[in-house]
Amino acid sequence: MNDNIHNNSASQAQMMDDLQFRRSILADPSSQDEAILAAKSADPAKKKFADDLCQFDEKLKQAMKITVPEDLADKLLLRQSLASHQQEKRKTRTHLALAASVAIIAGIVVNYLQFSNSYSNLGDYALAHVYHEQAVFSNGDNTRVSLSSLNKKMSTFKGSFNSSMGELISADYCRFDGMKSLHLVFKGVTDVVTVFVVPKEKHLAFTDKFTDGKLSGESIGFEQANILVIGDKNESLTKWQQTINNNIAWSI
Amino acid sequence: MKIFGNKKAPAQVSTNMTTKQVRYEALVKALHSDLYRYGYWLTRDKQVAEDLVQETFLRAWRALDSLKDEKAAKSWLITILRRENARRFERKRFDMSEYEEATIIDTESTTTEQSIENQWLRDKIAQLPPEYSEPLVLQVLGGYSGEDIASMLNLNKNTVMTRLFRARNQLKDALEKEPEKMRFTHE
Repeated sequence: MNDNIHNNSASQAQMMDDLQFRRSILADPSSQDEAILAAKSADPAKKKFADDLCQFDEKLKQAMKITVPEDLADKLLLRQSLASHQQEKRKTRTHLALAASVAIIAGIVVNYLQFSNSYSNLGDYALAHVYHEQAVFSNGDNTRVSLSSLNKKMSTFKGSFNSSMGELISADYCRFDGMKSLHLVFKGVTDVVTVFVVPKEKHLAFTDKFTDGKLSGESIGFEQANILVIGDKNESLTKWQQTINNNIAWSI
Repeated sequence: MKIFGNKKAPAQVSTNMTTKQVRYEALVKALHSDLYRYGYWLTRDKQVAEDLVQETFLRAWRALDSLKDEKAAKSWLITILRRENARRFERKRFDMSEYEEATIIDTESTTTEQSIENQWLRDKIAQLPPEYSEPLVLQVLGGYSGEDIASMLNLNKNTVMTRLFRARNQLKDALEKEPEKMRFTHE
């Protein structure tokens, strides 16, 4: 191993060559580099140096091959199967949570659409409601609702009418912006007159007079409920108001 | 979630899972020894090496789909293991006292001449600075070329070759100081 024969006898150029060879071989004993192979076949001492190092590498390799714990492979497989099981469980849980969230949101949206307070005052909502049901009632309808059945419905609002105020085409409960209300349709001069009996609620601002050009409305605020009258420009809403005011009686 | 999913999906997923499982098991069986030994020479600690291998394979499992070329599996795993090892240092900066021979405990019986020799060599390899021993282990044990090692360690090839040269040179020096330890010298 410790031979310096080459160094002693070699020229400066050869010595460099020899150092270079040693350097290369020490970096990679089994190098297949052409220059290295040529140098080995030209110089038996170099070949021996390389062969010795290859043998040394083999010993290094044996020394590096420390004993691997026997159960390591099993442990690795076990850990993976546990980990992927956990992952699966997490996935299922996420899916379930996602489905639940979707269901809840769908519920909220439906609820919101059905009962949303998209109007800020009584007048706006009343007009929208009338336009929505415009096609349902016409001034020429022959159906009439009796005073007794009207009063039966009015009892919900703890009120009653003393006499019929006109020709009542329809009287029905309706949902007035989420509030249970009474929707009355009277025969008017040119078109129907709508009267709403609406419970007092804070979320709609009280508007005593409202109009959109075609239809106008007036509200009377009673202690128990608001009554709104909506009709076209040919109707005297004040007259209707008076009639209502004169006829209504509230039970306490 | 069936509303959104393809009805065939569960069956497909489970076949994919089976394929993945088979690949993973093959990977573990073929390469866990190499990985463990590499981890040991990187950390010089059997327990740490085992933990590293566990972490490495767990990460490998999660990222198995990104492994396209099975031939590259070993260097892929080695890269993961090196990263895990680096992470370990970020987590706790404890003193590794890497140069202390006391930490190199081998429980194997040292009765035969071969194992005495192995033990002596192991001590010497363990005493090498890590930047020398790491490429040496990759070359001797992993069978990687200078270029391969350079790309795995993010070094240029000349640096790797210099380190390999210094690693062997130091081992040879050690050997020359204690020639009686190796049969190699008597030949």
